[in-house]
Amino acid sequence: MSSNMNDRAYQLWDERRGKIQSKKGGWIIGKGVFNHGYSMMDDLVGKVSYMQVMVLNATGRLPERAVADWFDAIHICLSWPDPRIWCNQIGALGGTARTSVVAATSAGVLAADAKAYGIKPLIQGVNFIQTALLDFKRGTSVDEIIRNECAKHRGKPNIMGYARPLAKGDERIIAMWRVQKALGLPIGEHLQLAEQIEQSLLKNFDESMNINGYMTAFLSDLGYTADEVYRIFAVLVTSGVTACYVDTRDKAPDTFLPLRCADIEYTGKLARPVP
Amino acid sequence: MATEKRKVESRNDVFVERTATKIWQEIESPNNPYLADSCLCHGYDLLELTQKRSFVETLYLLFRGELPDADEARLLEHLMIALINPGPRHPATRAAMNAGVGSTDREHILPIALSIYGGSHLGAGEVEPAMDFLRKQRKHDPRQLAHELITNGIPPQEGDWHIAPGFGSRFGGVDTMPAKIAKHLADLPGKHETLLWGCKFAVALNEHSLGWLSPAIAAAVFTDLGFSPRAGAGLFQLLGAPGLLAHGVELSNKPVTAMPFVKDENYVIKYE
Repeated sequence: MSSNMNDRAYQLWDERRGKIQSKKGGWIIGKGVFNHGYSMMDDLVGKVSYMQVMVLNATGRLPERAVADWFDAIHICLSWPDPRIWCNQIGALGGTARTSVVAATSAGVLAADAKAYGIKPLIQGVNFIQTALLDFKRGTSVDEIIRNECAKHRGKPNIMGYARPLAKGDERIIAMWRVQKALGLPIGEHLQLAEQIEQSLLKNFDESMNINGYMTAFLSDLGYTADEVYRIFAVLVTSGVTACYVDTRDKAPDTFLPLRCADIEYTGKLARPVP
Repeated sequence: MATEKRKVESRNDVFVERTATKIWQEIESPNNPYLADSCLCHGYDLLELTQKRSFVETLYLLFRGELPDADEARLLEHLMIALINPGPRHPATRAAMNAGVGSTDREHILPIALSIYGGSHLGAGEVEPAMDFLRKQRKHDPRQLAHELITNGIPPQEGDWHIAPGFGSRFGGVDTMPAKIAKHLADLPGKHETLLWGCKFAVALNEHSLGWLSPAIAAAVFTDLGFSPRAGAGLFQLLGAPGLLAHGVELSNKPVTAMPFVKDENYVIKYE
């Protein structure tokens, strides 16, 4: 590396100076707007849904309408207007602090770039079910797959996509099964395995699949990678955050969950003089 | 599908009644429990701090719980000056400039720039991994480690190689400014074990066109000052914030033509 670099170490950057080479598309003034080979105004506007274009932009592939409608439905499932949810509460705090709706919504979306909830668990969910299917095909039983995962968590069934936090059971899966059936989208091998994992968890731990487990298995059946899923769902929580913002923005400022001084528990050092 | 198992039941997790903090105490006003009559930072009265201590000392206090000694305060202040501006070519600064020249609401300029400054390439996202790396490796021989990483590492096919978090090439070569900053900081009075180790490690990398990058300098100083790695990313963003903001504000009353717009002939669409 070093010898080549000494000759023209910065050639790569010189080649790109003042130029943009896009693999996605762009606006050619006088000719049109292009997106992954499609003419935006001729091929897409009025002919495909916004969700289809969103997935196209995130993955480079235009999904069929039924799949985009499934994406539409799952977005409804994953963001609702309850300000007790952490990202939504950021939206509500933005409203009570008179932040702009754009800043508050962006802040809430950013907050969902989290491991405990929000978007990052989808990466883990996809990785789990895709690895599990490979193991299953190599002969590992469903019970063994679960045992191996439990071993990573001191025997507890902390498997991404199963055993929902805060509550047991997940009503959203029933709704999405209904949507999937109505759209005529098939059950693939990842989703079949997810169901088998759920059956074993129900039997042994009284735990079931959560929405993450369902959607990551379904998306794996469609061939999406973990990175693609992360990109598609970048603004997953946006509508709920905006709703919570609007709720507090339309009330008197600083009235959302107001705190007295004593409502924060101080556990630090006692008062002392500054040396 | 086990529909009967979809019945949703709360797990009845136990949440605290009040959020706790060791950092800040607000003593309520006798007339209104929502108003603070005085504020204490780790036990020190805020107004007394303003009279007796510097901003840098108070910043250290916030994160460490105690005031720094003179060497620690000097080291942190010199680092803050050294990293006050990522420079007008850093992607985060350019984001601030784009926001400024586009007449984005001015209160958004800094959050926009800081979001980009959170990246894992020359940004805050590289600081915590660099702190973890330094804490783990500083007991090993830096030359030997550099040799092992060079021998076993695989450079990327294109672009800069970060052989370890915060160490690598920039634009294909050794970035000399971070090296000068690191040397300056290491020469200050006080104990800088991590910083000195980093200097030796960087020197061992130099012959391979690799060396210090600014996130690792911050990481080394934060480690020597005893800051938690969890604070590393945010502190790095805090240190670079003045420069990011200044560049964004500078362009915020200018027309959009005050920054280049790539000409059509230089905009190439090439689908794979």
